[in-house]
Amino acid sequence: MHEKPGEGILKVKSILEKYPKERRYLLAILQDIQKTYNYLPREALNEVRDYLGIPLSSLYSMATFYKALSLKPKGRYVIKVCDGTACHIRGSLDIVEEIKKQLSISPGEVTKDGKFSLETVNCLGSCALAPVMVINDKYYGNLKPAMVKDILESTGD
Amino acid sequence: MKVIIDDKEFEAEYGEYILDVARRNGIHIPTLCHSDAVPGQGSCRLCIVEVYERGKNKVVVSCLYPITGEIKVYTNSEKIHRMRRNIIRLLAARAPGSEYIKKLKEEYGIPEETRFKVDEKEKCVLCGLCVKACEKLGSMAISTVNRGATKKVAPPFEEPPVDCIGCTSCAHVCPTGAIEVREYEGKRVIWNRTFELLKCTSCGRYFITREQYEYMKNRHGIDMKELLCDRCRQKSTAEKLVSLYKKLLVKKTLFQCYRLQKD
Ligand code: SF4
Ligand code: FES
Ligand code: FES
Repeated sequence: MHEKPGEGILKVKSILEKYPKERRYLLAILQDIQKTYNYLPREALNEVRDYLGIPLSSLYSMATFYKALSLKPKGRYVIKVCDGTACHIRGSLDIVEEIKKQLSISPGEVTKDGKFSLETVNCLGSCALAPVMVINDKYYGNLKPAMVKDILESTGD
Repeated sequence: MKVIIDDKEFEAEYGEYILDVARRNGIHIPTLCHSDAVPGQGSCRLCIVEVYERGKNKVVVSCLYPITGEIKVYTNSEKIHRMRRNIIRLLAARAPGSEYIKKLKEEYGIPEETRFKVDEKEKCVLCGLCVKACEKLGSMAISTVNRGATKKVAPPFEEPPVDCIGCTSCAHVCPTGAIEVREYEGKRVIWNRTFELLKCTSCGRYFITREQYEYMKNRHGIDMKELLCDRCRQKSTAEKLVSLYKKLLVKKTLFQCYRLQKD
């Protein structure tokens, strides 16, 4: 289960303590924070800035560069629909459309109950199974729009 | 060492960049992301030239290509012209709002863009000079944000930047005029942050933000009894020199009188 924001500058401190005060650990620290909170809370970024002594602009630059990091809370289940070349050609956008219809969210958004968030990614390295999507760590290949509803329903807490 | 640029021979030092040698000798190579104050960007590719070195020929960016052997350079061959046109076309599709780019477009006869979707207001070519300048000056208030098609330059959280001191270096170094600065009634606005301006103690002109003043005081330990704008500082230095010179003259004359008396 993910930490709620606010519940925890303490958590950030214990993450930071694991790392020497060197800039090269920045990405690893941000990944840890992302894992703990499911996003990068602003207070946490301020803590990192103070700990490593690097400007907020560098943190923000990195936080917006990597898809694995996000500034908004993600859902408990992150749906990644591949929109790489192979998946695109085999209809990944129809899959996205179907998910949009089922959950009423667009890529980059989270459902109201915080359960799902949706994003598109570039090639998951499983082109033979195109079109592909991953929900947390589970892969679904050879997708058809008609399969989406069942998959979402069977995904539970 | 010798280098031949557009069929003329010039002297260059080992390791000197082609652009510098060309400029020194009045040969024009168009540039966008090159700044003597913040060198080494090499992102716009506008300054490409053709180089013939040891029987081989290649296209390089002149602002970053060091001369280390006998080379022949062509700054405007047919190939370069064609490639540069393409580069300008892409830059123009990216930043059609920039006056400088509009001029280049005209100069190179680039037709209106029909193939790409463009944002008419966009002026930034993402060269990164502003970020580098801000970093060099020590504020590090802005950075590149996102990547790929949505990449841009912005302050953290796209809010008025906390670390900014309102020095406008970013706006000055920007080759396309993409960073807006407004000044009115003793205020300066940049990156959506409003700064209070301080007056020159000599001429009374607003010229510096309070944050810039604090920064200079802390960083460089500048004596702040008087706060002089560039113009007044130059004037005051000149005046000091003149008075020093006068004093010297007086001394010299006195000395000569003394010698005369003695003789
Ligand atoms: S704002 Fe200007 S200096 Fe900064 S990246 Fe864009 S074009 Fe370059
Ligand atoms: S394009 Fe989707 S897995 Fe490669
Ligand atoms: S001026 Fe040389 S790459 Fe931009």
